[in-house]
Amino acid sequence: MNEMSKNENLDIQIYNFAYLDENTKRMIRRALLKALCIPGYQVPFSSREMPMPYGWGTGGIQVTSACLIPKDILKVIDQGADDTTNAVSIRKFFQKTANVAVTEKTSDASLIQTRHRIPETKLKEKQILVYQVPIPEPLRFLEPRETETRKMHALSEYGLMYVKLYEDIAKHGHIETAYAYPVKTNGNYVTDPSPIPKFDNPKMNNSPAIQLFGAGREQRIYAIPPYTNVKSLDFEDYPFEAMKANFKCSICGSSDSYLDEIIVSDDGKRSYICSDTDYCKEQTKLNSKKED
Amino acid sequence: MNQNFLFQASNISKYYGQNIGCKNVSLDINPGEVLGIVGESGSGKSTLLNCIYGNLEVDEGDIFLNDKSKTILNFTKISEPKLRSIQRSDLAFVHQNPRDGLRMNISAGGNIGERLMAIGHRNYGEIREIAANWLEKVEIDVNRIDDKPSTFSGGMQQRLQIARNLVTRPRLIFMDEPTGGLDVSVQAKILDLLRNLVRELGIAAVIVTHDLAVVRLLADRIIVMQNGNVIEAGLCDQVLDDPQHKYSQLLVSSVLQV
Repeated sequence: MNEMSKNENLDIQIYNFAYLDENTKRMIRRALLKALCIPGYQVPFSSREMPMPYGWGTGGIQVTSACLIPKDILKVIDQGADDTTNAVSIRKFFQKTANVAVTEKTSDASLIQTRHRIPETKLKEKQILVYQVPIPEPLRFLEPRETETRKMHALSEYGLMYVKLYEDIAKHGHIETAYAYPVKTNGNYVTDPSPIPKFDNPKMNNSPAIQLFGAGREQRIYAIPPYTNVKSLDFEDYPFEAMKANFKCSICGSSDSYLDEIIVSDDGKRSYICSDTDYCKEQTKLNSKKED
Repeated sequence: MNQNFLFQASNISKYYGQNIGCKNVSLDINPGEVLGIVGESGSGKSTLLNCIYGNLEVDEGDIFLNDKSKTILNFTKISEPKLRSIQRSDLAFVHQNPRDGLRMNISAGGNIGERLMAIGHRNYGEIREIAANWLEKVEIDVNRIDDKPSTFSGGMQQRLQIARNLVTRPRLIFMDEPTGGLDVSVQAKILDLLRNLVRELGIAAVIVTHDLAVVRLLADRIIVMQNGNVIEAGLCDQVLDDPQHKYSQLLVSSVLQV
């Protein structure tokens, strides 16, 4: 027992603060600064091997690692929830390697790493939101050549992006794309908001918080600085619509937060609950106060 | 110099290392005129076409386009964004193989609409209406608007490619063997269509082909190429009926007669 706790202390000493070495963090910070200067532009960076598989948030972790300072308060969410595997393991990782305070409360956090959601609670200035990004290139499935997509970004040739939306309407009668819905950042670069539901897209617009995006496997970093115009692409006659399931949360009763659909019985009964666990707790608390 | 020209290439040369792609070629095209480029395989026809379209960088010479505002632009001097924007608006390129010029996994309507969306159309209803009109113009059933080109026959694919290129009303269209690889009756239909569209819309065209019947039908003037050089140029009927150069004579006399 004594032996083990000794080893644990040793671990903290062996790892540099927040796992990555200072030179790597410096390289990532340079990429981040560049990304903030050119909103929506994908900055290449030399992504490191992280002690977890690609697709588990290696890009987000590297960005978080480069941004963390000892007095930060960290929150990690996966699909809006604080208690899912990915969120728990990343939170523990930074507790162990950086010894930072952690929280589940959105409003208390100074840095939030997220996968697939933006918290319902409105973000504030001096908060940083770090997205885990699987595919940073919004044009990837339309034009597979990276040399060509870079040129298309450089020359703002985005006709093809609209072809995708056109195909959606032609096939389904409305824009079917429901997540990773492309946006135009600062009127310039078309950007992939990572696979957040399009319900969250309006939250990106003019946000007081800094939004950083890290794609580990793809070795790209991009950013949306605070108070930047972020517009979801659409057609004049088929305007963008933020969508969610038209139900109330069966725990807190909220009708304005994004809902997860859960099948609760073998005969297919469904229930809907907030995907943002922190927001759900807050609402439940507010409700019980009202009842008192 | 003729100031009313639409497009002019002067003394352009392109080398592939030691080999000549094309050498000292000059040509000019007036608005609404159809120019045929004929010659055997490997004579530099496609190289020349790609050079004057701006796809290939030329080693020597200049290429001028008289744009809509009557400004003369030199392709070898303008920036890449400018060149690409001209290629999207004033010019068009029809490939021999429709698979090179179409997006095979996108519906016919989307294929026609792409150029429109690229130049800023943002109204779905309008884009779709224009796409339907063009399908009609190239004689494809409007009900096929949401079908993918992979379900189309070769001739339909080629007609779709033509529609996709003409939708933004370019002033000059480049065609590389537009009827190559199609059977004769389909060829005839496409040639007929092209002739009507080019005349009706007043579009100038450069057609590369090894098929003399195609130029006879479509072209006003032709140039004959061999080994990267232009060996004869002139009015289409004049060159085909009374070829002066030895090679042109060979070319004309080797056409199979039925």
